[in-house]
Amino acid sequence: MNSAPRQLNLDQWDDRYEQLRRDGLREPAYGGPLRRHVVREKDFRLQQLRFDNSPAALRLWNFLLTENQRLHQARAAGHKIVGTMKDLGTVPVMAYALPGLRAFYPDGAWWTPCLMECSDRLLQKAERMGLDASFCPARAMLPALVDGGHFPRPDLLICSSGAVCDDFSAIAQRLEHLGHSILWWEIPRRRRPAAGETACALPGLLAAPQIQVDCVRTELQRVGRALGELAGRTLDDDSLAAGIRAANQVRRRLDSLRRTVYSAPAAPLPALEMLVAEMLAIHFCSDREETIAVLDDLLAEVQSRARRSQFVIGAEAARIFWVNPVADLRAMNLLEELGGRLCGSDFMFSHALDLIPENLPPLEALARSAMADPMVGPTDDRAARIVRECQAGRAEAVAVSRIPGASHCAREGEIIREIVRREIGIPAIEIEIPPVCDAMLPSLASRLRAMVETARSRRAR
Amino acid sequence: MICAGIDAGSRSIKAVLLDTARQQMIASGLTDQGVEQERLAAELFEKLLQEAGLARSRISAVVATGYGRNAIRFADTTITEITCHARGVHRLAPEARTIIEIGGQDSKVICLEEGGRVRDFAMNDRCAAGTGRFLEMVAARLDMSWEKLAELGRQSKKPALISNMCVVFAETEIIGLLADGQPLPDVVAGVQNAIATRVSALAGRFVSQPVYFTGGVALLPGMARALEEALACPVRVAPRPQFTGALGAALSAAAKPPDGV
Repeated sequence: MNSAPRQLNLDQWDDRYEQLRRDGLREPAYGGPLRRHVVREKDFRLQQLRFDNSPAALRLWNFLLTENQRLHQARAAGHKIVGTMKDLGTVPVMAYALPGLRAFYPDGAWWTPCLMECSDRLLQKAERMGLDASFCPARAMLPALVDGGHFPRPDLLICSSGAVCDDFSAIAQRLEHLGHSILWWEIPRRRRPAAGETACALPGLLAAPQIQVDCVRTELQRVGRALGELAGRTLDDDSLAAGIRAANQVRRRLDSLRRTVYSAPAAPLPALEMLVAEMLAIHFCSDREETIAVLDDLLAEVQSRARRSQFVIGAEAARIFWVNPVADLRAMNLLEELGGRLCGSDFMFSHALDLIPENLPPLEALARSAMADPMVGPTDDRAARIVRECQAGRAEAVAVSRIPGASHCAREGEIIREIVRREIGIPAIEIEIPPVCDAMLPSLASRLRAMVETARSRRAR
Repeated sequence: MICAGIDAGSRSIKAVLLDTARQQMIASGLTDQGVEQERLAAELFEKLLQEAGLARSRISAVVATGYGRNAIRFADTTITEITCHARGVHRLAPEARTIIEIGGQDSKVICLEEGGRVRDFAMNDRCAAGTGRFLEMVAARLDMSWEKLAELGRQSKKPALISNMCVVFAETEIIGLLADGQPLPDVVAGVQNAIATRVSALAGRFVSQPVYFTGGVALLPGMARALEEALACPVRVAPRPQFTGALGAALSAAAKPPDGV
């Protein structure tokens, strides 16, 4: 069933799928050929992508692309649906600690215009609702929630506010104005403890004043009560501790996956599949247990390839550290087509990859984890981690991809570039990637190609 | 050995023939860009061969660069403008540490290390306000050539302030300024300053001197001065600035590039 690792387009995957079926491929209930997502869900962008050829990658893609169905099925089975907005990896841990709750990430609708190549007109609908292209593509969430055509309307909407991106707050405020009740919880901007203040160590080698962590813990307590009311059961410490341990199972697998892929002499898994896999950390793609199974498969495949020295991208590729997720998935393929490979990533939720402390009272542990969110702290903190990980991954260049309209991206890229250049002296470029980048593909390709050329020329000398 | 470099830019196509033994440009030329890029480039290439009295078979390698490089199928390989401008400017001005290239479609800031190696680069990707396209728009609106436009800019006593970030809105603003009686030279100088300001924002805080200005826009009197003011440092116009990309491509063709591209 195994064949040499390589990337396949959708047509090639049709043949590969038939071959796998003949060879006895066993799939979960959401399995099937990738082509069906184009036919049934109008995920036209898949026709422009290249996918890893492993059954594990097929499972990953099918898991990602069936999330809305999974949520509808959960609703039909009597589960309560919780939309956790602007929250990258905190409230879902709490929600999945309670039976009968399914948390998902409505902001994830920002990939819908890409996947459907804007055929669903979500961005245009968002414009009619007052949110134009000066806002982050996460604005696609607004019509998706209002129309209810993609995922089921949540039973509870929770949104963090405070030190998160301004445009997302604006989107959520608009949603609330349209009659969708939101439970807001606040997170302060992380600062370094002042002299005489009690300091609290956070995951990711960070620190914050204990008073800030206390504030977040109190807020999460309030969120926990609301989740408990929805579930009809109190979210006690034992349940939450179990939820944290389960979330850490996901994080440990992702850590192993990242270490295996990023430290390998060549890439055993393509950049696109790494992006999708890492995204599972945020809300488990609406099924925590299945996330673990998907990652187990992927990890086994990657470890097996690494042992056999079988790679998708060769060792000659320039080692690129990628910052921020891309609005158009095609960009990750493009990097590899132009001679690069991922050797590290910061897709804006690095805190959701760090283990949540298991030796602390669970709410305190979650509060510390939330406070380590790169988006709520100074960019210098984020850049420092990027520098560390660039060094660990022997990065030859850094690509900072801007998300059009996203307020946190406005100047952040420049700061990160400056620190990377100062600390490790490797090229760092900034690129902007819209939800469908076809129109600017030549200029985007030029930038990526120039980055690869620059990295390689520095290697040679 | 004779090598060729072709820079298929958004506004014009430039070509250079390089005698690698003597390290000399033996022919160079340019033509306006058009829809049939490859035909235009081939015609220019043939013209240069004729001028130099060379047969096509004498050309050892052709490298294409520029935004239209992939359309030049007779090239042996393609290399990006970043690498080519760096190589071209380094050959002409080895002391250069920062290169500013303002093209018709985009602008670039390239930081060089000693030896000409690219340390880093930045390209604008948001709008045309920091590119030659802005000047083109103004020239078309005023129905005059770039050269005449630049000449006017030199006569400015008090450059106008163009506040719009968008070329389309800026056009309206320029019409308004002229309607308000602002002298034309001041408006033109204001446009040059606006372009220079956008480019200086692109350069950020990483401008190492000496700074060399290249690309066709560098030929316009007044633009280097506008950049000097925006960057607060001297800016030198590279020798034969419109050909540095093509020269870099020819240099890349001459030796198997160390980066394997």
